[in-house]
Order: sequence, then structure tokens, then C-alpha cells
Amino acid sequence: MMEAVSRIPLLRVLTAALLAGAIFCLGRFGIAGAASLDDLLAGALAPSAAPALLGPITSAGRVGWECKPERAAGAAGWQEAELPLDRGTP
Amino acid sequence: MRVALLVALLTQLTATSGIAQTYSPQTPVPRTTSAPALRAVAVRREIEERFTIGLAAEGRSDWKAAAAEFERIVALRPPEPLGSTARYDLAIAYANLQRNEDAARELRAALSLDPGFLAAMANLVSIDIALRNLSEARKVADRYMTLAPDSARALYSRGIVALQAGDAATARDDFGKLLHVNPSYAVAHYDLALAEERLGRYDAAERELRSALGLAPGYARARLALGVVLLREGEHGAARNAFAQATVDASGDPALQNIAAAMRDSIKSPQ
Repeated sequence: MMEAVSRIPLLRVLTAALLAGAIFCLGRFGIAGAASLDDLLAGALAPSAAPALLGPITSAGRVGWECKPERAAGAAGWQEAELPLDRGTP
Repeated sequence: MRVALLVALLTQLTATSGIAQTYSPQTPVPRTTSAPALRAVAVRREIEERFTIGLAAEGRSDWKAAAAEFERIVALRPPEPLGSTARYDLAIAYANLQRNEDAARELRAALSLDPGFLAAMANLVSIDIALRNLSEARKVADRYMTLAPDSARALYSRGIVALQAGDAATARDDFGKLLHVNPSYAVAHYDLALAEERLGRYDAAERELRSALGLAPGYARARLALGVVLLREGEHGAARNAFAQATVDASGDPALQNIAAAMRDSIKSPQ
């Protein structure tokens, strides 16, 4: 589902390649002398992904316990809310 | 002889009546001859059938077929909750067809029909983020939070929007509240750390990242972020170690691995 709502993976790869190249060049001259270090470090810290879309709803509508997406949208627990995981997280 | 025949006949009649009850028709026969009423029954039946077909198509990821069914339902202008539900399901099909603008439009229409539709709000925030329409995403996320202040998804979604839009204070509040109820959610510790880092609170950021890594030792993005925070704190050796570990943990994610390796190599190792 996430592929559908985002073209972020391709952008991330391009950004990563540019960032890696910039950091590599920076490294050749030593970190202490880098004027734009703050920008580079900030660029390395990307927020987590947006949540994937909640699933379809039947003609009965959103009201009632049978409607899983509406329940997920209001749930207090992260698993029931179907929040995303990241690589390496359980 | 006559009595026996009568008993047999009555038994047969009872059995026949039982069978007839078992096989009663699923769809009741319309109790009207009025043309408008008959048309309304037919339209209602068409909507139900198209929902069934459309949901089956979404179930097998045939988004084009699903979109066609829900477009037809929307064109029939069904009453609530059918109208908002059809637009919600149509938005899912559009999003999977990479038609995010259309998906956002349908979700906004669903919300104008049913202003309390939380699942529609949740999906609209995700689609607005994908469209990089952060001001709209924030408006919907604020409304979502007002209606469902304890919702984990509302807190997470608004926190992500706030981080992307540069509002670190709101992000810190939202991820903090999310973690109050969900202390074992490692991803929220990571995002809270990002908010703290942007607010210049490196000690708090480091603490959150160590919490995330305590829950998920192989969490490469958190390890990379820890390296960045340690670097900001002047801990070059520890930062280098964190980047080196992130390079290992990020195997399978070349983008992240490249960044971690470049960061590691940019720090001179102690002589």
C-alpha cells in the first residue's frame, strides 16, 4: 500500500546518493573544517514514513465494531492503529 | 385404511411446507407497482452488487476494476453511509493507481458527507503527505486530533507532518503523548529524538535513541541518528562506532548504508 501513496523510495535513493557524495567530499577535508556540516547532519535525519492507508470498508459503513479501519483510526495502541515499522524494528 | 391414508397425506403436506420455508427467496419481492419505488429498489440493489464486486476487486489488487465500480456508485448519488463509504473506497483504488490528487479529492468529499469519518481523515493525511501538501495535511491532522485525541494514528500522523514542516515543538508533544501509552513503539522514540535534536536538546535525543535501540538493537536508522547526535555532542569516537554499526545494520537498504558509510569515513579514526 505504501508504494501507492508515495514516490519517496526513489527520492530517498537519489537524496542518499547526493548526501553520501557530499559527506565523502567533506570527509576528505576533515569534519572540523566543514561549514555546512549542520545541514548535512540534518539531512541525514529523515522522519519515519507516513502510515499506510487503512483498508476498504463495506457498504455497511464505518459505524460499528465490524469496521476494522474505523476502529484502527481511533485506537490508542500502535499495533491496532496499524502504525508503520521500520527496518530492524520488531 | 382411510385413517392411515389421511395421516400419510398430512405428513407429506407438513414436510412440503417445511421445505418451502427453508428455500424462501433471499431478495424479497417488491411490494409495490410504483415505478419510482421500483427504480429505487433496483438502484439500491445495483449499489450493493457494485460494492461487493468493487471490494472483491480491491481484495485481488485489481484497482482499475475497483475504481470503475465505485465511480459508478458515486454517480448514483447514494444516501449515507453509502456515499461517503463509496468515496473512501474509491480513494483507496485511486491511490493505488498513483492518482493521489484524485484520491485526496474523494476523501475530502467523503468528509463533507460524514465529518466524523476518522478512517477517511487518517488516509487523507497520508495522501497529503505523499503529495507534499503539508499545509493541508496539517489541517486534517489537527481536525483528526480534535475528534480523537487518544488515537495513536492521529498522534503519529500529526507528529510526522509537524516534523516534515519544521514544527519540532508539536512533533515533540505528539510523539511524547504517543509514547506515554505506547512505550514499546521504537519508531516513536526515533521520531521524538528527531524533534528533540531539532530543538537542540541533544541529551534528550540521545536518551530517546538509546530507548529505541534498546527495543530494537538492529534499528539502523536509529543507530545512524545516534551517530549524528553523538557528533553534535562532540563524541567523535562514539559517533564513528555508531555509524560503523549502522553500516552493518543497514544491509539491505543501500541508501541508508551509503549515508552511514560516508559518515563513518568522514570521521578520522583515532591514531
